[in-house]
Amino acid sequence: MRKVIVGNHAVSLGVKLARCEVISAYPITPQTQVVEMLSEMCATGELDARFIKVESEHSAMAACVGASAAGARAFTATSSHGLVYMHEMLHWAAGGRLPIVMANVNRALGPGWNIWVDQSDSLSQRDTGWIQLYCETNQDVLDTTILAFRLAESVDVPVMVVLDAFYLSHTAEPVIIPEQALVDRFLPQRAARHRLDTAAPRAYGALVRPEDYMEMRWDQQLATTRAQTAFDDITDEWARLTGRAYGATEAYRTRNAELLLVTSGTITSTAREVVDARRAAGERVGLIKVKMFRPFPSVALRALLRGVPRVAVLDRNVSPGHSGIFAEEIRAALYDVACGERPNVFGYVLGLGGRDVTPAVINEVIDRTRAGTVAEREDLWVGVKA
Amino acid sequence: MSEAMPPQAPHISASSTSTRANRTGSWKYIRPRYRDGVAPCNARCPTGTDVEGYMNLLRQGRTADAVDLLLRENPMPAVTGRVCHHPCELVCNRAQLDDAVAVHLVERDLGDRILAAPPPSFARTREETVAVIGSGPAGLACAYHLARLGYPVTVFEAASRAGGMLRQGIPEYRLPRTVLDRQIEWLEGTGIDIRCDTRITIDDSDDLAGFAAVFVATGAHRSRPIGAQGEDGPRIIPGLEFLKAVNRGEPPQIGHRVVVVGGGNTAIDCARTALRLGASPVVVYRRTRNEMPAIAAEVDEAMREGIPFEFLAAPRAFHHIHGRLSGVECERMELGEPDASGRRRPVASAHGTFSILADTVLTAIGEDAGTEALPHGVATDDGRIVVDPLGATRAAGFWAGGDLTGLERTVADALGSGKVAAIGIDRALRAKRGEPVPVHDLAELRWSGGNMSMSRWRGDDPVRRTDPSNERIDFTALNPAHFTRVARQRETFTDALDFSEANRGLTALEALDEARRCFNCGVCNECELCLIMCPDVAITRRPEGTGFDIDLDYCKGCGVCAMECPRGAIVMTREGL
Repeated sequence: MRKVIVGNHAVSLGVKLARCEVISAYPITPQTQVVEMLSEMCATGELDARFIKVESEHSAMAACVGASAAGARAFTATSSHGLVYMHEMLHWAAGGRLPIVMANVNRALGPGWNIWVDQSDSLSQRDTGWIQLYCETNQDVLDTTILAFRLAESVDVPVMVVLDAFYLSHTAEPVIIPEQALVDRFLPQRAARHRLDTAAPRAYGALVRPEDYMEMRWDQQLATTRAQTAFDDITDEWARLTGRAYGATEAYRTRNAELLLVTSGTITSTAREVVDARRAAGERVGLIKVKMFRPFPSVALRALLRGVPRVAVLDRNVSPGHSGIFAEEIRAALYDVACGERPNVFGYVLGLGGRDVTPAVINEVIDRTRAGTVAEREDLWVGVKA
Repeated sequence: MSEAMPPQAPHISASSTSTRANRTGSWKYIRPRYRDGVAPCNARCPTGTDVEGYMNLLRQGRTADAVDLLLRENPMPAVTGRVCHHPCELVCNRAQLDDAVAVHLVERDLGDRILAAPPPSFARTREETVAVIGSGPAGLACAYHLARLGYPVTVFEAASRAGGMLRQGIPEYRLPRTVLDRQIEWLEGTGIDIRCDTRITIDDSDDLAGFAAVFVATGAHRSRPIGAQGEDGPRIIPGLEFLKAVNRGEPPQIGHRVVVVGGGNTAIDCARTALRLGASPVVVYRRTRNEMPAIAAEVDEAMREGIPFEFLAAPRAFHHIHGRLSGVECERMELGEPDASGRRRPVASAHGTFSILADTVLTAIGEDAGTEALPHGVATDDGRIVVDPLGATRAAGFWAGGDLTGLERTVADALGSGKVAAIGIDRALRAKRGEPVPVHDLAELRWSGGNMSMSRWRGDDPVRRTDPSNERIDFTALNPAHFTRVARQRETFTDALDFSEANRGLTALEALDEARRCFNCGVCNECELCLIMCPDVAITRRPEGTGFDIDLDYCKGCGVCAMECPRGAIVMTREGL
C-alpha cells in the first residue's frame, strides 16, 4: 500500500508494524506527531502496546530501560533538548545492552532558540553507545525504523533513527507501507536474552568492580562493531523482501570521480540533483551518502574514497573549536590510507539551525573544493554573513 | 546468508541473587513512623466533632459507622448542618488547593438520615439523676451525652415547647420546624425526659431536690438597649422579641420601612424575616462588612435577597411625630483602633448625621443572659457567668453552658459546652462515689487545643489511630502534589421569599462526593502511596483497616514515604535506633 505521509507518521507506522510493546515519550517540536499518532493507536487498540506518559525525556528513556529489561520491545522519540536531557539514560540503555529504538528528529540546540534541522543534537550523543542511522526520505524513515528493531535485537545495542526536522518530519511524500505479515516474518517477537523475572529477583545495573568493568565494555564494543556486518545482512534480507536496498553507506555516480561529496540526511537528495547536473556537464563529480554514523563505517569509506583527489564533506553540525563532525571522522578514517592515495578532505559547515542548503550552496561547495588544492582550515563555513 | 548473532547473552551487570541479600536497613539513622495527627477541622469545631473521621468512613462506604462517630460528639447534626457557622470550613486545608470541603452539607445529609431512623435507646447504668435547665442546644447536648453515659436526665423548659433559641430565635427558613420537631422527638426517644412549661428559678423552686447535679443553660434573651434618644418610644422592638413572636406565629405589625440595628445573626435573621413579612428592611451597622459577627453566608444570602446595608452608621436618636415613629437619625462613623475583640472600633466621623425613614426599628446589638436559675453569687459583678474548663460554676453541684456562659454565642459552641459539662458532671459524680476516674490531662481530651472529644473521655474511640499525636496538621505538612482539584458541591437555594427552607442542601450522592474531597489531614487512610513509593519495598500491608508494617531490615531511612505521604501521617524519627 502506498500512502502520502509525513516523516513523523512514517516513524509511527514503522513502530506499529514492528509490534512495539511499550512506548514512553514526552512531546517536543518537531517530534510530537510521532507520539501523538502512537498514543492514538494505543488508545484505540490499533496497536497493542502500553503507552507510558512521563514528565520528561529522562523519565521516558528510564521507562524504556525498564520495559526493555523486562523483555519488551520498547520505543521512544524525541528531539534536540529532549535528547540531550536524556543523555544519562542513553548510557544506561546502551551499557545495559537494551535493544531500545528511538527516533530523533534532528533539531538545533538553543540558545538561540531554534526548532529547525541541525545534527548537533544526535551527534553530541556520539559516545553514548547508541547505533545511529540517518535517513534521507520518508520511505527510508519507515524502513529504517523496522530495520532498527531487528538490528538492535540482533546485537543487543540500542538504535537511534535520525530524521531531519521539517524536511522529513513535516513533509509529506509517497511511502510504501509494507504488509504486516511481511514485517512479522522479518521481525519476529523479541527473544530477550536477559529478562527481569520477579520469581528470581536480581539487581540490574549493579556495582561492577574494576576487575570486571572492562570486560563489559569489551563485550559492548564487540557487539557494536558487529552491528556493521549485522546491518549488511539485515538490509540484504530487507532488500530481498521489499526490493528496497539500504547500506551503511551509499555510492552515487562515483565512477572515475575527481571530487566526491559526502553527505547525510536530506542534503543528500539535493546533492544528487547537483551531481546529475555536473555529470551532464561532463564533470567527474560523485556522491557518498553516510547512513550509519555509529558504528562508523571506516572500512567501507576508506575503500570508497581511496585515490579520489578531493573530498568535500557537508556537515550540518559543528564541534565548536574543531570542525564538522562527519569531516572529523572521515579524516581520521582516511589517515591509514597511504599518502599518495589519501584524498584532500574539505570539511564544510553549512545549513546550521535549518538554513536552507540549496543546489546553489552545493555548487558553491564544489567550486570552492575544485579551486583549492588543500583546505586552508579544518572548518570551511559556507554562507556566513559578514 | 547467516546473520551475525552473538553466541551468548550480552555481558551485563546483574547480581546473581536477589537484593534481599543487601540489608539496607543497616544504613539508616532515622526511621519512619506512622503517626496520626489532628485535622484542623476537628481542632476548630466548637462541638468537638471528629469531622475528618466521619468523612473517612463515608469515603469507605461505611455510612453506619460514620453516623455512629458523628453521634458520639454531636446529638443534632440535622440542626448544625443547617445553622452552624461551620468554622471547620474556614480552616479546611483543602481551601488552599481549591475550595474547603462543604462539611455542613455532608453533616446535614447525615443528620437527615439519622432523623429518618429510630433513635438509639441508651441503657441507664448510673443511679444519680441530673437536671438540665433549658432545652436549647446546650441543655439538650448535655442531657444527651449524660444519657449516653447512662444517667437518667430530666430537662426543664420554661416555654411550652423544647428547643430554646433553636425554636424561638432561629427563623423557620433556616431551620424548618419539621426538622427541629423530629430532632426533639428523636432526643426524647433516646430516653431524655423533657418537661416543658416548667420555669425553674433558684429562689422559689424545689423541683431540683434529689438531683445529683444541675446543668443550667437558660440562654441570653434580654436584648441590650442601644442607648439612643427616644428608644422607649413605640415601634422600637428588640429584635429577639420580634423573632420569637414571628416564630410563635404572632408576627407584630411592622409597617413597610423597617430599620434593623446590628451586625450579628439576630440582625440578619430580623432583616430576612421582615423581608418575608413583606417589609423593606435596611440593616444599619456601625462598622463594616468585615467586622460583622454574623455568619458570612447569611449576610451573602441577605444581600442576594436584595436587603440594603447601611454600614458605618450608628443610631443616635429615634424621632417620633404625634406618637408615631418617623425615622432614625444616624451618625456617620469611621473605623478607629482595634478594641478588645480585635475588631476596629467605630468612632464618630466628621461627616455628621443623616436620617432614615422608619415605620419600625428592630434592635439587635446583642443579648444579655438571665441568671434566675443559678444560685446567688455565681455571676461576677459585671453579670458574666464564669465556669471552669469542665463547665462547673462556683456553686457546688451546678454546671452551666450555652449562651449563658459563652463568649461565642453559636449553636455549635452551645453543643460543645453541653458536652464538656456532661464530662465534668460524669467525672465529679464518679469521683464522689470513689470510682476510679480515668486520669486525664484535660488537654488530652481536646482535639489539638480545640474542644473535647467524648470518645477520648470514654476511652472508646472506634477509629483505629496509629500512634496518635495531638498535633494539628496544617497545609504545610501535606503533600498537595497527590491531590487533584475537584469542584466543591454547591447547594441549591430556593428563590421563594417565604418561610420555606431557603437552602435545599445536597442529594445523598452529592454529599458522598463531597465527603470524598476530604484530605483526611494527618490521618492514615491506607491510600498505599507509602507502599508504592518505598524504594526498598520495605512496606507491607496488614489486613484491611490495620495499617502497614515497615521492615526495618530493609528500610534505609530515606524518608521518601514521609515526604510523599499526602496527609502528613508519617514522621521521621530517631526512636528505637
